[in-house]
Amino acid sequence: MAKYIIRRLLYLIPVLLGVSLIIFVLFNVIAGDPTAVLLGKNATARQMADLREQLGLNKSLLLQYLDVVKSAFTFDFGRSWATKQEITSMIKQGAYPSLCLTIPAFVISTVLAMLISLVVAFYRGKGIDLFIRLLCIAGMSVSALAYILAFQWFFAYKLGWFEISGFEYGFPDFIPYIALPTIVWILLSLGPDVRFFRTVILDEIYQDYVRTARAKGLGEIRILLKHVLRNAMIPIITYTVIQIPFLILGALLLENFFSIPGLGGITLNALNSSDFPVIKAMAILSSVIYIVFSLISDILYTLADPRVKLK
Amino acid sequence: MTSPLLSVKNLVVEFHTSEGITRAVNDVSFDIPQGKTIGIVGESGSGKSVTSLAVMGLLQKPAARIPQGEVFFNGVDILKCNDDQMRDLRGNQISMIFQEPMTSLNPVFKVGDQIAEALRIHKKMTYKQAWDRTVELMNEVGIPNPAASAHKYPHEMSGGQKQRVMIAMAISCDPKLLIADEPTTALDVTIQKQVLDLLFKLQQNHKMSMMFITHDLGVIGDIADDVVVMYRSNVVEKNNAKDIFHSPKHPYSRGLLACRPKLGENPRRLLTVSDFMNEAGEEIKITVEKTTVFDKETAPQKDSQILLEVKNLVTQFPVKGGIFGRTIDHFKAVDNVSFTLKKGKTLGLVGESGCGKTTLGRTILRLIEPASGQIIYNGQDITNVHAEELRLLRRKMQIIFQDPYSSLNPRMTVSEILTEPLNIHNVGNSKKERIDMARTLIERVGLKANQMNRYPHEFSGGQRQRICIARALMLRPEFVICDESVSALDVSIQAQVLNLLLDLQEEFGLTYIFISHDLSVVNFIADEVGVMYAGKIIELDKASKIYLNPKEEYTKALLSAIPKGLVSTSLLV
Amino acid sequence: MKENSLWRDALRTLVRDKWTLFSLVIVVGYSLIALLSATGLIAADWAQEVGASNLPPSAEHIFGTDIFGRSVFMKVIRGTQIAMSVGLAASLIAIPIGVLLGALAGYFGGWVDDVITWLYTTFSSIPNIMLLISITMILGKGIFSVYAALGATSWVTLCRLIRGEVMKHKEREYVQAAGAIGGGHLRKLFIHILPNVMHIVIINTSLQFQVAIKSEVILSYLGLGVQGEPSWGTMIDDAKLELARGVWWQLAGATLAMFLIVLSFNLLGDALRDSLDPKLKGK
Repeated sequence: MAKYIIRRLLYLIPVLLGVSLIIFVLFNVIAGDPTAVLLGKNATARQMADLREQLGLNKSLLLQYLDVVKSAFTFDFGRSWATKQEITSMIKQGAYPSLCLTIPAFVISTVLAMLISLVVAFYRGKGIDLFIRLLCIAGMSVSALAYILAFQWFFAYKLGWFEISGFEYGFPDFIPYIALPTIVWILLSLGPDVRFFRTVILDEIYQDYVRTARAKGLGEIRILLKHVLRNAMIPIITYTVIQIPFLILGALLLENFFSIPGLGGITLNALNSSDFPVIKAMAILSSVIYIVFSLISDILYTLADPRVKLK
Repeated sequence: MTSPLLSVKNLVVEFHTSEGITRAVNDVSFDIPQGKTIGIVGESGSGKSVTSLAVMGLLQKPAARIPQGEVFFNGVDILKCNDDQMRDLRGNQISMIFQEPMTSLNPVFKVGDQIAEALRIHKKMTYKQAWDRTVELMNEVGIPNPAASAHKYPHEMSGGQKQRVMIAMAISCDPKLLIADEPTTALDVTIQKQVLDLLFKLQQNHKMSMMFITHDLGVIGDIADDVVVMYRSNVVEKNNAKDIFHSPKHPYSRGLLACRPKLGENPRRLLTVSDFMNEAGEEIKITVEKTTVFDKETAPQKDSQILLEVKNLVTQFPVKGGIFGRTIDHFKAVDNVSFTLKKGKTLGLVGESGCGKTTLGRTILRLIEPASGQIIYNGQDITNVHAEELRLLRRKMQIIFQDPYSSLNPRMTVSEILTEPLNIHNVGNSKKERIDMARTLIERVGLKANQMNRYPHEFSGGQRQRICIARALMLRPEFVICDESVSALDVSIQAQVLNLLLDLQEEFGLTYIFISHDLSVVNFIADEVGVMYAGKIIELDKASKIYLNPKEEYTKALLSAIPKGLVSTSLLV
Repeated sequence: MKENSLWRDALRTLVRDKWTLFSLVIVVGYSLIALLSATGLIAADWAQEVGASNLPPSAEHIFGTDIFGRSVFMKVIRGTQIAMSVGLAASLIAIPIGVLLGALAGYFGGWVDDVITWLYTTFSSIPNIMLLISITMILGKGIFSVYAALGATSWVTLCRLIRGEVMKHKEREYVQAAGAIGGGHLRKLFIHILPNVMHIVIINTSLQFQVAIKSEVILSYLGLGVQGEPSWGTMIDDAKLELARGVWWQLAGATLAMFLIVLSFNLLGDALRDSLDPKLKGK
């Protein structure tokens, strides 16, 4: 086990270097010289040279690349061009509202999707199964933007049940602000989640060991909840854990529509003001978190499945 | 005379699919008396497994329907039972063992828990009681160190042990009826014998009735009291086992008995079902010529030259380990093997799964690279020849694989499959000429030339294997390796393909290496037999000497594992 | 009889199911609309004022008019062209890269596999939306940036799937048989294995197509997509401000148009998987 974890940890190094390389190529090589844009038309050559020096753009490409790699390990991303703030402290501020929205939404939607898919798997092939499958596909086919707009307009604007936008720090003050986006998040994730869980559960239901369990005289519900679910949990855990990084990334569109000052909102603001360092920081940060959680997901997989031999 | 434990009356099972309705079981009736064993014999698709699933109430609804028939168990028609009543019967009064021990156990639970579960459900035992009983049961079915083994997961056990766990599970609640659906087919021959003996012993000790389903009449001879022969969804013969074996009445039963090669008999050709009855199922008279006994030993021996010589051949696979997954050791799949093979002769290689026989065959063809040793073909050392020369050698050396389903590219027509070797080697001047060559050969192996534009999935397993044979012969090779080439086929088809291989050998002067786990098949086709164990050939001799006078313990074990039904009566006396 | 009958069988089962037939019709219909619009045969004058500002749907203007009095229906048609072109471009980039790299990695293994696996692990480690935003922002707003961004992200899944499938097929006996009759690596990989894994490409493309359409809508909504032309994303962006005034038809038109095509690709993808993936046969 220890050896496996060490090997997986060591494999993080080339992947991190690769991610840094892609981001470096995008932001440092392709993006070109930003000084003209930053200083406006009337900038003197002198000012531009100073800024270039200040931004570290005079360094050789190799050193610039090493800077990107360094930031992936230290999380020190420098300052925003637009707000001049430390990006690290911006991220710290933005994390709270984002997590207030995404964690409850994620937990509720995952549990709900599990329950629905178990019911659907129990009634497989029957009317309710077909109906929910179609509902999932139909639900997934509506644009997320349309959901958000329609819900915001109807429930918050028309009916006035929820706050239209904004955020309040501290529990339980934020609840009226995040309630509606949470509901929209749950609706958006139910479709793909139920579809995936259902497929995984049905894959197991047709295995030989289920026939053995039936031959033993077990009831269908016991077979589903004990034998099938225990096997299906292996891919379900992996699938669920790998989604956690996106919680930290925040709900990009939801935060934008509901004016929640989270990481998603920060990212979109940076996008509008061409604030390269913030976007770059978000890209690096989200990749690092993603890599860490895919490692956790892998390790959980090996723990959950007794068949996986650890070398 | 008491009433039978199980009585199946006029049972019909149909499958309703989008393609239409197929009748899998047609008007089947038979009885299983208390404490007796009934063998149900038939080839794939004969409806034997469907019958057993119908008795268990395990047919997949709503596709499977039972429009007619009754199944009385202890006087109750269980087809009329509701789900709860059936659940009480299953695993408790009637239990079942399946063919595939590898997939029939739940991979994420300990085997002990899986056995104990049935006891806790049906006998309302506590966890502790059930676990103790489980250990006793595992001891009874012969699992070594049962207390510790109960804590193992299925993947930590061998196939034979898993099947023993399945048996322990099945007998845990002292059922009155045990259904065994091909319980030994997926196992190695020596393990097969042990599992059969175990089932027989348990059936006697627990005074159970048993319904034993198999495709192989030979297997059933030792243990069944009565035999039911099924053919194309129908029962064609019911009788006690002795009568079936000594004077089978239905031509199909006769064909089934005759088509298995038997130790101690050396016919030139095997009789097949089609020698006894025609397509419509009508009996035909056997011609004398086909039954002539042929003795390989006394047949005129031509002193032919050596075609293949293998010297100290070693093939090894790396074993990976350590943090960086480097090669830390080697596993020798073929370990220092030497033999010679004369032109026009057949060398049989027998052994159980994992003994290295397949790797040896592929190494000789250099489909796998040898680690050391020499392969000398027709006087030329081919151990290290380069790609271009090897490509030329492929014209002379060919292979026929085991699985007729995966050895043909599903996206190519038969015509494309057969002309491909000609294209690669630039044989034939035009496409038309190549197709003509393929046409000649496809007819020679017993298919029709107008089937050449079809895809492999439109053919049956036996027909596909004929296509594989034709492909191997397209380049007119001298030497062919048959790697378990008949193992995946039904017994009656097996006999036809074996006959074909023999005819082709004579016609084209082929030299064979015939690899199989089945000693009786190898004995029938081979001149010399090599017994492989753990990568080595432990015994190599004339076919007749091996079975009359085996020297190694392992060879003896292999021989004694052959069911008595497959040994010539003259040897049993 | 030249037509490969496995594909023909699959097609036959597909057409028999009415949902699948429906989605096929929609996909073909959208493609035709996109083609006609791209060649200027329809909706070329979408920018023309056809009536008063913000007219609700009527017989004359079935989706109503926008703030400038332009026909929303024409804009939807124009948006169809953008959406379909994005799906097509993403597929045209993803398929050759994904198939080639996946096939090489799966077939040759060893260091080739190590390098390619590293490459796609790296690409998949950057969350898709961040990669899309970064690429479009840096390459500059516009439709070609969207093409490039979607191309860069959509080959990854295909590559991983093809690699796995090729690895499985490499061990099959028919490939070994091809070696035994003297076929080389190229013949084994391209003539034997690849045709047997092409179903993965078709299924995956059908699903990736709708992901590309959805992504384009979001990128355009964020102002990163097509400029100066209507896209479903920019239409929804416009609707954001109009909704409070009761102007719902621009949102409805774009959403409905997108819903139909995404739904069709989803249904089609599922149906293709059911009929082409042998693993699922008999369920």
